Amino acid sequence: MNSKKITGRSLQALDRITGNGSRQLARLTSRRSFLTRLGTMITGAAVLPLLPVSRAFSAEPVEELGDPQSCDYWRYCALGGTLCSCCGGTHNSCPPGAEPSPITWVGTCRNPVDDRDYLISYNDCCGKSLCNRCWCGNSERERPVYFPSKSNSVLWCFGTESRAYHCTVAVVLGEASKQD
Amino acid sequence: MPLKAVILLLSVAGAAYASPKSDFLLHCGGCHQPNGTGAPPNVPTLVGSLGRIAASAEGRDYLARVPGAAQAPLTDDELAAVLNWILKEFNNDTLPASFKPLKGREVGKSRARVLADPLKMRNELWPGDPDY
Repeated sequence: MNSKKITGRSLQALDRITGNGSRQLARLTSRRSFLTRLGTMITGAAVLPLLPVSRAFSAEPVEELGDPQSCDYWRYCALGGTLCSCCGGTHNSCPPGAEPSPITWVGTCRNPVDDRDYLISYNDCCGKSLCNRCWCGNSERERPVYFPSKSNSVLWCFGTESRAYHCTVAVVLGEASKQD
Repeated sequence: MPLKAVILLLSVAGAAYASPKSDFLLHCGGCHQPNGTGAPPNVPTLVGSLGRIAASAEGRDYLARVPGAAQAPLTDDELAAVLNWILKEFNNDTLPASFKPLKGREVGKSRARVLADPLKMRNELWPGDPDY
């Protein structure tokens, strides 16, 4: 048997395997199932922004006590607005359908658990009408007249698709005295 | 205790309390984001081209004259530390090898002349800068 014959038989076998595989794939799948999967992917992509992943902020390694639905909660020491934790979100994530504003103001609050100061970012959640529950008006270290950037009365819905204010979250950025 | 000594003690205690990163997050991070990327076009990024800007005398001057920097409730030394931290942390790749950290005295002179229109100056000094 020469090498040409061996190559020819190998190619025939390869042809047979590929042909059988293609036919089997065609039997098991259809244009309809392809469209079904495509539809699922498109729907999934549309629903993805509603998942908590895009509304929540990074992990916050801090020990704390208190009720995030109460204005007395330690993180809210300079929060002016309504609490997202009463509006379908949490103290650090926006409710479904609301978009967190990337631009915000940052203050400090003392955590009663360890008696240390933490940097708190007050992000507004935007794109839905006002959530009229759990109003909170604390203003520790707020200096609106001298430093407009340190005002909790400013509408911080900048950089979001809609400027409609819904509620506010309080995200811990880190300990104020322990950053490198 | 004389009043001056009390004020000095208070200012020393205040300066020792916060680190440059802490001051950055407290006074700059709200708009420029904790990672410095900003929210273009409303808020310019602090990541990338500031190293090139800091390479010239005008650029060093500019960094401390931008209203957000010049008017931050920080001492000259604290502001210099924050600016140096931003340059090292977010712009190390574009910072020239010959870069000398900003000093409080230099920053103090610059911030006394706060810029009314920083974007205009930035466009004049670094036309076509992709990062602002």
